[in-house]
Amino acid sequence: MDEQLNRAPCGFLSLTEDGRIVTINETLLEMLHYPPEQLQGKHIQSILTVPAQMFYQLYFVPLIKMKQKVEEMYISLKTNSGEEIPVMVNALLRKRGGERYSDCVLFPIHNRSEYENELLIAKKEAEAALLAKHKANKELENTLEELKEQQKKLMDLNEQNQKFKIETKKELELARKIQKTSLTDPIETKHIQIQSFHKASRELSGDIYGFYQIDQHRYGIILLDVMGHGISSALITMSLHSLFQRLISYGVNTDIVMKELDQHLHTLFQNNEEARHYCTAIYLLIDTKKQKIEYINAGHPPAFWLDKNGEQHELFSKSVPIGMFEGIEYKTNTVNYSKGDRLLLYTDGVTDLIGPNQLSKLFMKNRESSLSSLKERIIASLEQQKSEKQRSDDQCLILIELK
Amino acid sequence: MEQNILSRNNVKVIGTGDRTILFAPGFGCDQTVWNIVAKAFEDEYRIILFDYVGTGNSDLQAYDVNKYSTLEGYAQDVLDVCSALDLEDTIFIGHSVAGMIGMLASLREPQYFSDLIMLAPSPRYLNDPPEYYGGFEKEQLLGLLEMMEKNYIGWATMFADTLLNNPNHPEVKSDLEDRFCSTDPIIARQFAEATFFSDNRKDLKNVTVPTLILQCSEDIVAPETVGLYLQQHLPNSTYKKMNAIGHCPHMSDPEETIHLLRDYLKNVTPSRRF
Repeated sequence: MDEQLNRAPCGFLSLTEDGRIVTINETLLEMLHYPPEQLQGKHIQSILTVPAQMFYQLYFVPLIKMKQKVEEMYISLKTNSGEEIPVMVNALLRKRGGERYSDCVLFPIHNRSEYENELLIAKKEAEAALLAKHKANKELENTLEELKEQQKKLMDLNEQNQKFKIETKKELELARKIQKTSLTDPIETKHIQIQSFHKASRELSGDIYGFYQIDQHRYGIILLDVMGHGISSALITMSLHSLFQRLISYGVNTDIVMKELDQHLHTLFQNNEEARHYCTAIYLLIDTKKQKIEYINAGHPPAFWLDKNGEQHELFSKSVPIGMFEGIEYKTNTVNYSKGDRLLLYTDGVTDLIGPNQLSKLFMKNRESSLSSLKERIIASLEQQKSEKQRSDDQCLILIELK
Repeated sequence: MEQNILSRNNVKVIGTGDRTILFAPGFGCDQTVWNIVAKAFEDEYRIILFDYVGTGNSDLQAYDVNKYSTLEGYAQDVLDVCSALDLEDTIFIGHSVAGMIGMLASLREPQYFSDLIMLAPSPRYLNDPPEYYGGFEKEQLLGLLEMMEKNYIGWATMFADTLLNNPNHPEVKSDLEDRFCSTDPIIARQFAEATFFSDNRKDLKNVTVPTLILQCSEDIVAPETVGLYLQQHLPNSTYKKMNAIGHCPHMSDPEETIHLLRDYLKNVTPSRRF
């Protein structure tokens, strides 16, 4: 070997086609701590680490066979004492004397290798960070997807709810109309004039009334206020309505009317304490021939009775509301009236707004006005008060003029 | 579909003959490793060469990180090629890990194959003492992966990013005219992991296709004990020890390789199944 090559500042190797060492320069021998001659004829594997032996088989051999050269291949050498030396290899396949040899140049890259290690670490960290970012993004996307689904569900529910609400509202509107039709029309005869006002706090009312001409001289007038308001109260008013309409029209005695209504409520709720509703009621049986009023007030606010002299009396309650205690006897009260007297029946929804004193004053002050304009004034006062108060109970009025 | 597979796997069909030979490259390189050996058979056989997706001149856009994380994904490539060319009773010749890839393919669709010829095969590279000696400790295989990475250092980052950013990576074009032994480092690493950490020992007993094991001398990658293990566990196998040294006899000793292949193939009846 040429002395310059032997002592060149890089390792030099020449391999046979099956990888045996035919030439090795001193620089490489020193690098590997082998004495001269010892590596002669040995397979290159004996100076490679195990990974490098594999790498040699997987990459070096195919490349040198198929492309006749290897450029900038990184492998690691193993010294005589087992140390690792990272090297860069360039190789060429050359023909000499009918044989083919791989001529290899090797130079150590200790520092470069360190630097590359760091680069690789940084690259792996960057990749891990990138992967983590992708994972986080994916999770976020999933969460967003879930949120969208939830939102969709909510919107569907809301739509259903809205639909249900509209349907319910329609139903309630219809129910209110049905309740309204059960209310009796004003009465005006030679001896009596009866007018009324009925307003539900919601769609449906817990107040109900009825007035009927029983025969030529007798009139039955009833006003009831079922505890609470809304659907359940309204259903009870309808149940009571069908009963009192029949009782009053038949001209049943005042105390029997009240007793039957009381009994009806007890029957309704006898097996259902939770649903129990009681009800205040006032029933008046007016005989225009005898100019006599029979009445029973069961826990209801007192009716006002204004006589023709301008004096005001009250038809107080002397009994408990109906549907409260079973077996109560309702006692009939009787008063005589004169022509020109007036009566005002109302539910507590009215006095909740304008108070019993103001109502009484309005009643008295307007005694010269027609029954209709009296009613209008009371309604106007109620409207005024209502706008000030947020919520109100059902309101009901019955105005009677005795002629 | 067929046309897609043919371009996706860079399929080349050469030669004429009643019988077909499908050459499958091993880990690391592309179909050109078979050039010398394949040439010797092209007058008598129809020869099919291909690259796995992710290697050689295959379509990189078809690379699927999940699919190619195990050898089953590569076996699917073989089956796709067989299906696209409507193959039947084909002689499969696979180098190195391709021996196992061909075996996995034959377990799923045996009708495609008449014979499996395995050049320097191994069902498991890791040692599993005391019963099994694959040749390597885990650290040594990790050392190989590290060495691969260091050889890719110059052009690693760009591909790593594109692969991670977009699994379909449409912007990755095969702009490298010659990808003989170099491929995307992420793909190379996945292939290496799928290869060197696989264990196909339990599948050997289920193989129905006759097998020829060509065992090289002084092969560090697939030592002789491994070849003998295969012969014992593959039901219908023939074992031939080669004089060729190393892991790539089809390149280092094509003459001996061709000779042994011819020797075996002359005993293969043209239509075993009829």
